[in-house]
Amino acid sequence: MPSATVNKPRPSELLSRLTSAEPEVKVRALREVKNQIIGNRTKKLSFLKLGAVPAVAGILADSIDDVTDNNNCNNDSNNAINILVQSAAALGSFACGFDAGVQAVLDAGAFPNLLRLLANPNEKVVDAVARALRMIYQSKLAPKYDFLQQKNMEFLISLLNSEKENVSGLGASIITRSCETNLEQKALFDAGILRKLNSLLEGGSLSQRDASLESLATIFRNNPEVISKFAGPEIGRPLSSIIDLAKDRYPRTRLLACMCLIVIRNASPHFLQDIGIKTKLIHILLELLDDPGQVGDEAPFAFSSLIAQKEDLQKLALEANAIDKLHHHIKKGSLHPRRYEGILLALDDMCSKLESCRSKFLSLQVLNLLADALTDYNAGVRAAACICLKSVTRSIKNLSAGYFMNETIVIPLVQLFLDPSTSVQVAALGATSNIVVDFTTRKSIFVQCGGMKQLVQLAKSMESSVRSNALWALKNFVFQADNRLKEGVFSELTASLLSSLIRDPEPSVQEQALALVRNLVDGCINLIEFVFAEDGLILGAIGRQLQCASKAEIGIQGMYALCNVASGNEFHKEAVMQLLFTQMGDKNQSFVIKFLQSNDSRLCTATVWTIVNLTCPSSPGAPGRLEKLRNAGIVSQIKNMVNDPCVDVKLRVRTVLGQSMAFGDN
Amino acid sequence: MASSKKLISREEWEKRLNNVKIRKEDMNKLVMNFLVTEGYVEAAEKFRMESGTHPDIDLATITDRMAVKKAVQCGNVEDAIEKINDLNPEILDTNPQLFFQLQQQRLIELIRNGKVEEALEFAQEELAPRGEENQSFLEELERTISLLVFEDTSNCPVGELLDISQRLKTATEVNAAVLTSQSHEKDPKLPSLLKMLIWAQNQLDKKAAYPCINDLSNARLEDPTF
Repeated sequence: MPSATVNKPRPSELLSRLTSAEPEVKVRALREVKNQIIGNRTKKLSFLKLGAVPAVAGILADSIDDVTDNNNCNNDSNNAINILVQSAAALGSFACGFDAGVQAVLDAGAFPNLLRLLANPNEKVVDAVARALRMIYQSKLAPKYDFLQQKNMEFLISLLNSEKENVSGLGASIITRSCETNLEQKALFDAGILRKLNSLLEGGSLSQRDASLESLATIFRNNPEVISKFAGPEIGRPLSSIIDLAKDRYPRTRLLACMCLIVIRNASPHFLQDIGIKTKLIHILLELLDDPGQVGDEAPFAFSSLIAQKEDLQKLALEANAIDKLHHHIKKGSLHPRRYEGILLALDDMCSKLESCRSKFLSLQVLNLLADALTDYNAGVRAAACICLKSVTRSIKNLSAGYFMNETIVIPLVQLFLDPSTSVQVAALGATSNIVVDFTTRKSIFVQCGGMKQLVQLAKSMESSVRSNALWALKNFVFQADNRLKEGVFSELTASLLSSLIRDPEPSVQEQALALVRNLVDGCINLIEFVFAEDGLILGAIGRQLQCASKAEIGIQGMYALCNVASGNEFHKEAVMQLLFTQMGDKNQSFVIKFLQSNDSRLCTATVWTIVNLTCPSSPGAPGRLEKLRNAGIVSQIKNMVNDPCVDVKLRVRTVLGQSMAFGDN
Repeated sequence: MASSKKLISREEWEKRLNNVKIRKEDMNKLVMNFLVTEGYVEAAEKFRMESGTHPDIDLATITDRMAVKKAVQCGNVEDAIEKINDLNPEILDTNPQLFFQLQQQRLIELIRNGKVEEALEFAQEELAPRGEENQSFLEELERTISLLVFEDTSNCPVGELLDISQRLKTATEVNAAVLTSQSHEKDPKLPSLLKMLIWAQNQLDKKAAYPCINDLSNARLEDPTF
């Protein structure tokens, strides 16, 4: 007879039954709570709000000493066992994949009681408790385990040595969650934990193998010393068991084995470097993309960790048709957001350095695909799409052809400037920065889509990362742009905004603002008037900022801005001179000397270039300026640099000295 | 017409077959594996006693698993869920697809019994939140609810949901999930062997005419033909 009852007690009714004095009522109520919450996040939340967790934790605490030996089979002890088992199972379920639940369990003080119960004589109790603790340790909120204490290490070893899967699994989970520093990794190695994990790899059950792989990866992470000790004496053998598991029949095992091998590869230059293993890893991970479940969701992230920053692997992956395969998966549609994000980031890593990869990707007609991702409902996907776009737009060939400056991409991208998530905004700005370096005459499309105005708005954002990235995009936008475009940008920005951005509290913002000025005034003499607008607001800001530049990059951009101003007419050059000689406090030395003496050759070059422009022989005021510079000791400073190791510096110095000799200097 | 394929007569074939030695222990293991995976616990127990073959799984766990499977096959889904949670609370907590399938089956049973109000209440309280979390669940939920729209459910587009085969499908998924959680493989070895046989015969067909097995259930050799 099929059951079809929905006549369940309401949650509040259930909770009151938990307080019953009758053990049987209590057991049934606990079991009912457990059955209602398992698999059901909504119910977990509503029970949580009613205070179920402290209630259940309290029952666990009260019953902790009720089961003292395993031999009693009477009704009372059965009830006592069941109370412990059901309350542990309920707490475990609250903690399963649900951070609010984990927090509630910890807040209710159940953690130490659960630990104590691991020593309980009854198997079922131990099983339920170990499982609950494992759920807690799968969460970031789990209490930190101090491996460096002897007692704790011994306890961990006893867990790993247990025959019960849930208990040894708990030991592995603790390692995976809590082991962070090289010191802890070494302590685990010294205590023989790796040998134990290796034996679980070779002789354990499926879940023990998987748990071992995760723990091993955690212990190996960024620790070449531990890796070589593990793989060392019996060269090849321990690593070969992990390599074998990468071909295991279970997809999750294959994924975890690959992730472990990747951790080893990335940490240590001595292992797993031959082309055979590299190709194998690429093929296994690409094949795992076909898995419909969580394994397939995580596979692209593992793929990214394999190829990121590594051109040789990117090339191999390209030859293995990685881009086609990744593209194929996106085209299928209805992707879980995590998988979608992962695939986009994998494509980003593929296209980050190699033009061959970018060409391949773009040959697949992907603009519409990327445009869809830019408008996805999930913020992670949107950000990943922008990051991918940024890598792809490094393709100078396609940038020059104006491939990206079209409405399909620009409109959704500009919309993301207003995205509620800051990380999406910043990622969108990053992609925009590349796209607007468009060498054709199509930059006006960006203005038409409202992009330029939006960028100026973002330059006023509360978030410094948004401000600096918006300025970066504007800087690239005006790079070699025509006068009309530049004037449009300047009138939107206004001199007062730009000068305040030059004086922004954040160094990165200052740097980008100065670079923007540099690009704005570059090229045409009329544009130099920008820096004189509103009583020379911008010029004054540059001067003040150069006095107290906190890093070389600020000095470099500022000097190049001045350099461009100094390429103008007499009035412009004199204005620059005045700036260079403004004293601050009682400092006799102009910042010019400081910059010329800098270790950073880029800063020296920028400064010498400015002097070149100021002393250019064709201008009538040049001799006077040269005299001033000589008196300030700047010319002799430059003479000292005549054999500077940096070619750029040397050449510019010689130009200055050549120019100064035209005025009869020696 | 001359054929380029090699002809192998029945005598020659049987002679070659006799030269291949198969161990009794291996066959026993295959049988035990089949009985255990499919859940024939009494047969497995008897086979163990009579042949001395050790099952690779504790037979007691088979009883629990079979109780779950039977409950689903009978449409007692709530009972099945409780039993699964007693066996291993992690299974349904970490397998949203399976959990949804079971809840969907509960809904189907309510609809089958004409309990329309209860069905709607159940769908709203238990299944709608799952649909919010996952697009494909939402689509399945809508399909199931549409059963209520049709008067003649045997002819409607989603009528298959009411079929017994739906219960069996769910039961198989549940069986597989429990087996996996017990670190046991969810498929018996025997079908793989038979598939290998068919594949090998297909390969050999290209090169030879030989006595082949066409009926797997009696494994009779049929004479080669051109």
